[in-house]
Amino acid sequence: MMFGFPDVGLVGVIAASHLIEELDLDEVAYLDSTLLPPIIVLHEGLPHSPIRVFGNDNVMLAVSETPLAADTIYPIMYALIDWGKSKNVKMMVSLSGIPLEERQDAKELKVFAAGSSPEMLKIIKDRGVEILSEGYMVGPQAIMLQRCSQLSVPAVTLLAQCFYNYPDPEAAAEVLKGLAGITGVKVDVAKLLEKGEEIRVKARDVMKRTQQEMSNMKKGQEYDIPMYVS
Amino acid sequence: MAIERKRRSFIDIFDEYFDEMERELDRWRESFVEGPSWNLKASTMEPLKNMRVLPTEVVVTVDLPLTKESSLKVKALDESTLEISAQMKRKMTFKELGITHHKGEFQKFHCHMRVPVPVQMNKMKTKFKKGMLEIHIPRKRRH
Repeated sequence: MMFGFPDVGLVGVIAASHLIEELDLDEVAYLDSTLLPPIIVLHEGLPHSPIRVFGNDNVMLAVSETPLAADTIYPIMYALIDWGKSKNVKMMVSLSGIPLEERQDAKELKVFAAGSSPEMLKIIKDRGVEILSEGYMVGPQAIMLQRCSQLSVPAVTLLAQCFYNYPDPEAAAEVLKGLAGITGVKVDVAKLLEKGEEIRVKARDVMKRTQQEMSNMKKGQEYDIPMYVS
Repeated sequence: MAIERKRRSFIDIFDEYFDEMERELDRWRESFVEGPSWNLKASTMEPLKNMRVLPTEVVVTVDLPLTKESSLKVKALDESTLEISAQMKRKMTFKELGITHHKGEFQKFHCHMRVPVPVQMNKMKTKFKKGMLEIHIPRKRRH
């Protein structure tokens, strides 16, 4: 089961949207909660929850079209993970980004991963993805990893270097390559890169709302130098 | 009647400076979320933008996808206001943006930005790469 939520560079949402299109995933479930803001998403005139699960016989993908408010992240992520666990998913994977200060000048974007257990870290290493070994992680992907660790559900958070404040389709393409390496779920990213500038135009408003929520959840802490307590 | 002028400590001045910066940033953040990000009359869209005030310079970045560098205009309207505009390579309709209850099209990005500290606008430098504009403006030194 994969997760793509609005966060830095909208990496997870852009990657999720591309996965839905390329794998031709259907809506299989949605989240109904009074914790969500009073928003519905209209598609072809019909109301939909902003948080939906898409899937086929092999994969499930939870995606949100609106940023999660800081105080709703715990209950929403717990509910989604508990639901995924009840469906006996083999692994949970969060797709997201990690801001890079000099992103504009970066020639290549690295993908890092963090795992829910030492066994998962070994799998990540064996598949050639670099481990994000120290630092802070803030947002839905952080809670996903922590909750899965508590429940002994194998989980990985994949983070591609990206812009903090701007939609980053190139980073989304990189995180999808990382996903293929870890899970074998492969999609062609050529179309995603081709449509990159168009995606950046369309994603402006979601990015603006996401910036506000990232500020509320102290996302900037990911830049901090950790003080280790041993 | 003599009014004694209260001496302000360095910390007071420092605090006031940062309070003012905070207020300015709040005003700027508010302007970010209020109203639509487009102007149908002018056929313009407001780009995503960001400003960082560093000790020696102010760095502005503006996301201008689907634009040509040759059409980019960065103007200092006064000592603290920037006007940025860029023509898009092609027009975009509301329908393409996923909106069906409005009619219209956009062909330009346009925005204003207010710099919250004294800067030397005449020494501004710009860089444009893959639709991302970066502006560096040196700060004025206090003597």
